[in-house]
Amino acid sequence: MEYSQQFCELFFQALRIRLVEERIIELYPSDSIQSPVHLSIGQEAVAVGACRDLRETDLVFCTYRSHAYYLAKGGSLAEMFAELYGKVTGCARGKAGSMHLAAPEVGLMGASAVVASTIPHAVGAALAAKRLGNDQVVVGVFGDGATEEGVYHESLNFAVLHRLPVVFLCENNGLAVHSSQKARQGYDLLEHARSYGLSVCHIAEGYDFVKVADTMSDIIQRVRLTREPVFVEIRTYRYKEHVGPGEDFMCGYRQQEEWLAWKRQDPLEQYGDLAETIRPAIMKEIEEAVHFAMSSPFPSVEELLRDVV
Amino acid sequence: MSCNAAVTSLLNGQAASGLRAEAGTEVMSYRDALHWTMRDALQRHYSVLIMGQGVDDHKGIFGSTTGLAQEFGADRVMDMPLAEEGMTGVAIGAALNGLYPIQTHIRADFSLLAMNQIINLAAKYKYMFGGRFDVPMLIRMIVGRSWGQGAQHSQSLQSLFAHIPGLRVVMPSSSQSILDTYPAVIDRYRGPVISFEHRLMYDLQFYVAPLSPGQEIDPFGSRLVRPGEEVTIVATSIMVLEAMRAAEHLARVADIQCEVIDLHCVSSPDWDLVMHSVEKTGRLVVADTSWREYGVCAEVCRVVAERNPGCLKAPVVTLGMQPAPCPTAKCLEDLFYPDLRQLVGVLATLVTGNEIHGLPLPDTQSMADVYKRFKGPF
Repeated sequence: MEYSQQFCELFFQALRIRLVEERIIELYPSDSIQSPVHLSIGQEAVAVGACRDLRETDLVFCTYRSHAYYLAKGGSLAEMFAELYGKVTGCARGKAGSMHLAAPEVGLMGASAVVASTIPHAVGAALAAKRLGNDQVVVGVFGDGATEEGVYHESLNFAVLHRLPVVFLCENNGLAVHSSQKARQGYDLLEHARSYGLSVCHIAEGYDFVKVADTMSDIIQRVRLTREPVFVEIRTYRYKEHVGPGEDFMCGYRQQEEWLAWKRQDPLEQYGDLAETIRPAIMKEIEEAVHFAMSSPFPSVEELLRDVV
Repeated sequence: MSCNAAVTSLLNGQAASGLRAEAGTEVMSYRDALHWTMRDALQRHYSVLIMGQGVDDHKGIFGSTTGLAQEFGADRVMDMPLAEEGMTGVAIGAALNGLYPIQTHIRADFSLLAMNQIINLAAKYKYMFGGRFDVPMLIRMIVGRSWGQGAQHSQSLQSLFAHIPGLRVVMPSSSQSILDTYPAVIDRYRGPVISFEHRLMYDLQFYVAPLSPGQEIDPFGSRLVRPGEEVTIVATSIMVLEAMRAAEHLARVADIQCEVIDLHCVSSPDWDLVMHSVEKTGRLVVADTSWREYGVCAEVCRVVAERNPGCLKAPVVTLGMQPAPCPTAKCLEDLFYPDLRQLVGVLATLVTGNEIHGLPLPDTQSMADVYKRFKGPF
């Protein structure tokens, strides 16, 4: 079967993220990674699609479920594994673990473990971009649960009021930990965002990285030119438990059929032949990154009080 | 110390005694010093952005930002929505992307709505990401007092923030302290700083001296503002002025010399300065603007107890607010805050070693009556 170059590139990026996280699952029982992991498996296509046409100077602020954005934006894989292993060579010198990845050199501006807390940072960064007169686009990534927080509303209002170049990117996996969206929200996400005066966009096929990338490409270009905020909701599906390496379909809060239906649409599941062709190269990179992490030193005593103020 | 010693206020239009020679001869109110530093920051740094509810209105945060929106534009002196958490997050994001935000809370109490952003994000952004980011910003919080400010317009929350690693917390006690601190912080420091300004001081006139060329003041230092031999008073904010008034009274009526230390940066005081003084005098009074429990008073006692408890000739005495929310009735409010008479009383008892010390006490009824020149609105 023939695949377009665009498809292959995105497939590679998404598969890379999945294989990295599957390797984390394999390594987890060894207890070398002493950090809570919130895996992106199932949601990779949103991150790779959203980041494809972002420049290094464009900024992304994200959440504790950020392995996918860190890698899609261009963060170093070796430094990520080193960070998970608590090594001083990690992207945050062993002080962040899985939940606070950052790679400012490529515009990944940090992940917070408090829901919704980086949304206003994206707005503030966009305010700075406006003041400083550059053409940066800033993306604030958050889940559907974050839209229930007051700070989300405060952020939308301010971005619209001051016409700031920010994309509000809602990864809607329908779950806040184990609570369904229906049990939590009395509003319609899109209608609600529209009521603030935002232009809105909805992508139901969050597994389709080509569609996500093409749609986001248009949005990013529009924001770069118009300097106006946009709200995007992308439906997606979390394959693993909220936190940790396992599956939890036996726990009763969601049905395995949903997952199977989503997997039937997931290119990483459907194009096994292509995946097998690419896999060796990715696995080689992963093993090198794991080796770098394992062979790196732990932080020294001086690191404890370094960078406090 | 040098010109930082210029805390002697011009209460009742009269320069109090004990004014240090190098304190300067120019007179500037606390409000005008704030306004001067805000304008200076906007003028010298294109990246500075003042943001807060009402910063551009006719009252301009009690006169500290008046006219600046007209002079520098609404995009640099920005009125903000009533959204303390979100707007603090906006300030953090702006700081991460090249601006220097100065945020205002016209009452420190309102900052409690922004605690998540201040404590979970601003304080941790540098450390949590291994030093990859700086969040340079100044958050100005005003402490209200008297004329019925009550439970939610008068809290002095310094210990809440000073407890958190990653935050610098300062409490300017004079116009000079503002002139020494704000420009230095904005020019040179790359992290979040919280400043507690005391509303009762806004109308007070202080002697100020400009910095000599090349002179740099540590914006996070503590200041020895009055040398003395018999007792050390460690004070914060407006309590530094009360300590100076008490010291002057005791010097006048009994030739008792109190040493006064303005703690200034309560998050990282100059403990060597404090210990050196306490080891010299052997007696310590701590006077803070807030509750004593788990606060500055408790912290000073912790450090003395850990470093050299044997240097004390008598138990430490602490003065702060009574352990209750602030009441509004004046008769209760006067009991809620410590007054000059009380401060002089504990000092006299401590130095003489006798509660029946026989020294004349000042007859001041309440600090608010002394410091306030007007009847409100406040």
